[in-house]
Amino acid sequence: MWRMIAETIIYLIMACTSIASTIAVYLTIKEKDLVKAVIYSALQSALYTIIYFLLLTPDVVLVYLPVAVGLIPGVFLILISKTERWEKE
Amino acid sequence: MLSIEAVLRGVGAALLCLGAFAGLVSAIGFYRFKNFYLRLHAATVGTIWGCVFPLIGASLISVTMDELGEVKWFAAGASIVTAAIVFLLAPAGSHALARAVHRAHVARVQPCISDALDPNLCG
Amino acid sequence: MIAEIILAVIIIYIISIILLVIKAIKGPTIGDQVLAIDVITYITVVLFVLTSIYMKAALLIVIAIPLALWIYALDIYIAKYLEEGDLGA
Repeated sequence: MWRMIAETIIYLIMACTSIASTIAVYLTIKEKDLVKAVIYSALQSALYTIIYFLLLTPDVVLVYLPVAVGLIPGVFLILISKTERWEKE
Repeated sequence: MLSIEAVLRGVGAALLCLGAFAGLVSAIGFYRFKNFYLRLHAATVGTIWGCVFPLIGASLISVTMDELGEVKWFAAGASIVTAAIVFLLAPAGSHALARAVHRAHVARVQPCISDALDPNLCG
Repeated sequence: MIAEIILAVIIIYIISIILLVIKAIKGPTIGDQVLAIDVITYITVVLFVLTSIYMKAALLIVIAIPLALWIYALDIYIAKYLEEGDLGA
């Protein structure tokens, strides 16, 4: 019986995390301050690593992690510092 | 006389429960503190009491579990290495963030008595 | 006995993550948001280790180490951007 409860809990966690990541992506697109948009994108990547981990694939997680959490915010912050920070209409 | 297995499992389970309680306290503390500089205390409770001690407890538990086979020694070693890495990196990162936020005047000190480093940020 | 304790601890950690995600979306300054993502990611590290011990697939613990390292790098990016205006590239 504990096995069934554990499986149901794991699927429930995957579902709730997917919904939360969709909300984070929506906030990324609608935000006008570009530094906050980068931070929402890092939040979405952190939630995606939870989903990829629960699907038991370690190689996908090990590649997704440096790219989406480490390099993408770094490259975008260099880009924002050289152009503009507030998105105009 | 208790066996070594039971003692290790008891200590590991106690550290895990302490970590779960500290995580909950840290999450509630983020809402109740009033400005950014006080929330650093809640973040430190969340990372050190909530993530370093449970990892040591998890390594002690995995030494006693024979269902994992030979891999249990690898799991115990990797957990201790992760605990050491988090113990060294988390305070350094939040200290750098706090220094940058104070120097860039991003967050004000709201219920303030005096700010010795920069009196313009007070109040 | 140990399996039930690990399951209960995982559920309590997930409640903390939900509360912290709401704070990361709502927080008034950028520093609050980065701090909340920091704590979310370190708690995710503990969740990974506990879940891989619970599911008896102990080789998945190697994912936890790069997660902790790259979140430290994100802290340093945001700190350098706020203090100096550009990341020195």
